[in-house]
Amino acid sequence: MVFKHLNNLYAYRELIWQLAWSEFKLRYKNSILGYFWSLLEPMLMLTVLYVVFSNLMRVQVEYFQLFLLLGIILWNFLSRATSIGMNSIVGKADMIKKIYFPRDIFVISSCITALLMSIFESLIFISFMAIFRVPISTNLIYVPFILIFLFFISLGLTLALAALNVFYRDVQFIWQVILQAGFFATPILYTIDIFPAYLQKIVLLNPVAIMIISARHTIIYSSPATVGNLTFMLISSVIFLIMGYAIFNRLEPRFAEEI
Amino acid sequence: MPAIEVEHLYKSFRIPHEKRNTLFEALTGVFKPAPYETFQALKDINFTVEDGEAIGIIGENGSGKSTLLKLIAQILDSTRGKVNVNRKVTPFLELGVGFQPELTAAENVKIYATIMGMPKKEIESKLDDVLDFAGLERFRDTKLKNFSSGMQVRLAFSTAIQNDPEILLLDEVLAVGDMEFQQKCLEVLKQYREKGVTIVFVSHDLGSVRRFCDRTLLLNHGEQVALDDTEKVIDQYVYGEDASNMSSSDTEADTSPAEENSEESTHQSNKKVEITDVKFYDKFGNASNRFNSSDPMVIRIFYNAHKKVLDPVFGISLYSENGEHLFGTNTELRKVSIDHVDGEGYIDLEVEKIPMLTGQFLLTVAIHTHDQKTYDWHDRQYAFDVIPTSMDAGLIEIPCQWKI
Repeated sequence: MVFKHLNNLYAYRELIWQLAWSEFKLRYKNSILGYFWSLLEPMLMLTVLYVVFSNLMRVQVEYFQLFLLLGIILWNFLSRATSIGMNSIVGKADMIKKIYFPRDIFVISSCITALLMSIFESLIFISFMAIFRVPISTNLIYVPFILIFLFFISLGLTLALAALNVFYRDVQFIWQVILQAGFFATPILYTIDIFPAYLQKIVLLNPVAIMIISARHTIIYSSPATVGNLTFMLISSVIFLIMGYAIFNRLEPRFAEEI
Repeated sequence: MPAIEVEHLYKSFRIPHEKRNTLFEALTGVFKPAPYETFQALKDINFTVEDGEAIGIIGENGSGKSTLLKLIAQILDSTRGKVNVNRKVTPFLELGVGFQPELTAAENVKIYATIMGMPKKEIESKLDDVLDFAGLERFRDTKLKNFSSGMQVRLAFSTAIQNDPEILLLDEVLAVGDMEFQQKCLEVLKQYREKGVTIVFVSHDLGSVRRFCDRTLLLNHGEQVALDDTEKVIDQYVYGEDASNMSSSDTEADTSPAEENSEESTHQSNKKVEITDVKFYDKFGNASNRFNSSDPMVIRIFYNAHKKVLDPVFGISLYSENGEHLFGTNTELRKVSIDHVDGEGYIDLEVEKIPMLTGQFLLTVAIHTHDQKTYDWHDRQYAFDVIPTSMDAGLIEIPCQWKI
């Protein structure tokens, strides 16, 4: 059944891409700066956070700009994918009611839209890497895996949220609050060792925290990802994906009636 | 294997009395289930559509036609029963699904074509054809929001027909757009028919159904009333259930009753002969007040002569809904002399072929003497409807043919 569905999705690959790409284009269509808006936003955020944290709070971290930027980009991906994606069913009511194709296509394509935006943002990160002459190591081979895990966690979350949002319209407000809290509960602005040991354990239950930490290790600090972390990321992303699909598939048959 | 199989299909909708739209309401209401009603949209529908067959679905508004089409298109999920679709479905439930006003015509064509399931290479190569067919080459890079609705429909339609469907689902698509556009639609539909595409066609336009469908399914309040040759089913729809089986029995018609009209000012009726009723009979001999255009009709005037009256004249006048006088005739003009009338009786006016295409019509009936003294006169008290069956437009049909 899973295999059949994957095959089905493959048949619809052009549609998925077309939806993702047109959504991406639409986001910047009417602004003067166009695509550069998406670069400006993380830059501004980085500047503010850098000034605040390096001067006021005196955080001592090597390559702190890169440390911050990577965390922001990865978190932004999760936050955008879920925010855009949770409206992908509700916002496409006319399509849902008038034509059929597997409905998860809408969710997948909006996660890809978020991915496109993040890829664009990471251009800044790559140029920062060059500017600060960060050494590049073979440990970069872990990066694609970490990113795939992050994508699957986001997709799983988005599937569940998009489906729930059809039935309960306050889900999107609740989710925004959770995202806000998550931003501070995840080591994006700080390193994990500011917490006492018992708190660290709790923070590290968050798979996104592990992903951000592992990404920093492999990209910025040239150290390999640990087997424990990789396994944890793999298992948690699979669990999120399965849970997401379970909720989505259960609610999907009533989408067209409920929307 | 048939293209579409529908077995014991039921569909019901839940209509909650109060809508719980938020998670908060859902959680607080966990122990108090929301009261709801169920609406049976479809009950026990069974049919199969063979490859290359065109099937029509007709019925009043709210009879479940569109619901059935959406179940076939997999947009809705059945409550009970099965829908098996064994070919690739292309639904034309609405043209221009997924159009983005902020993107250009060319970009929208690409998106729409992808939605309709066309491969990318094909779209690129057909883009010029599409814009050309729609007559919009000059607006290739214009944003869709600057298009008129007519232009949008044209663009959508010319994109949609580039597809090679196996099963085509059509829901009133022909109802939008002007005459020229409708003609184009019908042309394309005809080509699909010739190519052997299976078509499921929902429409109120009985004329198109008659022209394109081999068989027709008649729905009434979600129930399958008939599934048979299109001619038979349309007759049944127009003339009521079992019309053809009851041709001998003279059922009571629900013609607009002759209410006593008190102020018959200009016509002083002396009621020596009274009009007691007027009925319309269809081609099966049943009293009715709905008729297919081009069908025969008999207008029967019932009278009661209280005394023996010599040489009366019976006449009728036909009016449109708006009160325009369309036609009038009487026995004098037609040189029919009636020697006398006495007691109860009736006289028939046989209409060979109803020339009106569509609308409601009102009938005036009168009995008078040759020198215009009225016995009885009922002004526009009888009404009947004409249902269109041909594709021609307008109020009346003029017998004609094209020649080169």
